[in-house]
Amino acid sequence: MVAPPDNDVLWARTLHFSRGGTPALTGVSVGVREREILAVGGPRGSGKTTLLQCLSGQLVPQQGEVWFNSTPVHTMGPLVRERLRRDKFGWIDPQPRLVPELTAWENTALPLMLHGAGNRAARKVALEWLDRLDIGACARKRPYALTHAERQRVAIARALVAGPTVLFADEPTAPLHRADRAHVLRTLTTAARSHGITVVLATHDADVAALADRTVSLLDGRRVHTVPLPADAEPEGAACSLSV
Amino acid sequence: MLALRLARGTHPLVLLRRLAVAAASAGTGFLLLCALGYALGHPQAAGPAVLRLAWCVLPIAATVHFAVAVARTDPATRPRAALSAVGLGPGRMMLLSAISTAVSCTLGSMLALLFFLHLRGDISGLPLDGAAAQLLGSGQPLPVAGVCTLLLVVPTAATLAGALTLRPRTLKPGAEQPAPEDPAPPAPTPGGLPWGVALMAMGLAVETYAARGAAAGGGLPLPGRLASSSAAILGGWAVTAVGLALAGPGLTYLCGKLLQAARPGAARLLAGRALQEEARRIGRPLGVVCAVSSGALAALALSTGAARIGPLTVLGSALVGGCAVLTLATAAVEARQSRADTTATLVKLGAPASLLRGAAGLRAAALLVVFGPLTWLIGTLAATPLTGH
Repeated sequence: MVAPPDNDVLWARTLHFSRGGTPALTGVSVGVREREILAVGGPRGSGKTTLLQCLSGQLVPQQGEVWFNSTPVHTMGPLVRERLRRDKFGWIDPQPRLVPELTAWENTALPLMLHGAGNRAARKVALEWLDRLDIGACARKRPYALTHAERQRVAIARALVAGPTVLFADEPTAPLHRADRAHVLRTLTTAARSHGITVVLATHDADVAALADRTVSLLDGRRVHTVPLPADAEPEGAACSLSV
Repeated sequence: MLALRLARGTHPLVLLRRLAVAAASAGTGFLLLCALGYALGHPQAAGPAVLRLAWCVLPIAATVHFAVAVARTDPATRPRAALSAVGLGPGRMMLLSAISTAVSCTLGSMLALLFFLHLRGDISGLPLDGAAAQLLGSGQPLPVAGVCTLLLVVPTAATLAGALTLRPRTLKPGAEQPAPEDPAPPAPTPGGLPWGVALMAMGLAVETYAARGAAAGGGLPLPGRLASSSAAILGGWAVTAVGLALAGPGLTYLCGKLLQAARPGAARLLAGRALQEEARRIGRPLGVVCAVSSGALAALALSTGAARIGPLTVLGSALVGGCAVLTLATAAVEARQSRADTTATLVKLGAPASLLRGAAGLRAAALLVVFGPLTWLIGTLAATPLTGH
């Protein structure tokens, strides 16, 4: 076993995880270097989300180890993991899961408030982030009044506002149109690079993966070096031919 | 059959709620049958018999209110992907819920009939055989049609009300249909507060005015002689109760608004906004609970101890109170179900469980601070003109 390089902020060794009897990860090892943008590629069902959930401490792998800055994540109790997730990690879902009764800036400021920041300070930082992501005008609107792309950008601002060490983005652009997709990705990567945030980005889209520093490919829960698929990897709901 | 199969696989707590509906229906049915028994035993006293029947309206209303609340909360009757995949839309779900309500209420009615026949002495072989034979008019043949009519009142009313509540809503043509994963627009601000306050004031005024001229012992005495009060006083009281129920949502909304005012932290913000969002759902049953408890307070202040409270009065008031409280609890469960997504989002953000519990505690405390003194005030005001004499 090769010792992990010193500048790995997060690394995992031989992760095994099965969901309902189906193996989702079988022996995946991966290291994430500090300040890099790492894309986790592979078609749907290849175990990208499970890998991100294991790395971010939402799931505990059935076998294998996860280390964050030389601290074992896989042996932590649930309360410590919860605090680690709150303090060090950010998470972006495929769907922007915002709290519907809070306005955009309150949603963005929520992680700061959970840290115990005062209302005024949290509001200032949240508004700055919303401005940076070009949605400062929507700060007082509730999620139902925003378009999908605006909601997703609010979710990105919420993930970035507390200054996480590692940002996990699970297919952040999946439900968006092409123009929105490019814009959201550009803002995400620019913000991460300018603030020195490490990003782990799960995507099935080769164009998205091209924005990353490095790509790790998964196939059926295994790490592969080349995905045996055409370059424009299968889109969602790909047509499949059935011979009956 | 599908309704039964779905019921068989549900959580014990859900079944417990259905059983509570059956129990409430049984109690109400028993009260109705007792009124019938009294009428059979005292054919010459038509007035008191009708009065007894009229007082049964309160337990019936409470039972139907509770049954509707349970039908709304039942997880088996809300649209689900698994049932929608086989073509069961909102229309069929309404039918399923109506069947469940009808079954549980009819079960209660049957139990009431068994118990009534048993106490009357028509069914023997168990303890307490014919213990109340004299009271329930034993010896007279029971009119089958009358029994059936009385026992069908609660199931029919509850089923119809539940079906009306859960009826599929038609979208206006041209209206934009929201996708299921989109966040819901905020609930409209409940506007019943001015009406509620006006009705409360009017009810109290009518009651005070009527009490000045009320002759002792006239009007509509409660069967247990708890309070002998005139029709005008009772009418005033009913208007006050309706006013409280109408004002409930508005007051709850106001509570939420005050809770999240002036630079809130995470707990106050979440608690206040949730109260504003759930004002309609929580406020109505909360207003009813307030009305019932202020009525109980007034009755306690009026009962001097000399008047003997009959067992049927105790049963009736326990039914009304229990149904009101259980309806409030069911509404709270419904509110929690509708906020499950928000809670999941907060947990995913790393919100500690203590924050979520703290927000829930804040909500409860705010409601208690506003509605507790209000209940006491209304109860005292309602009792004052009557005790003054």
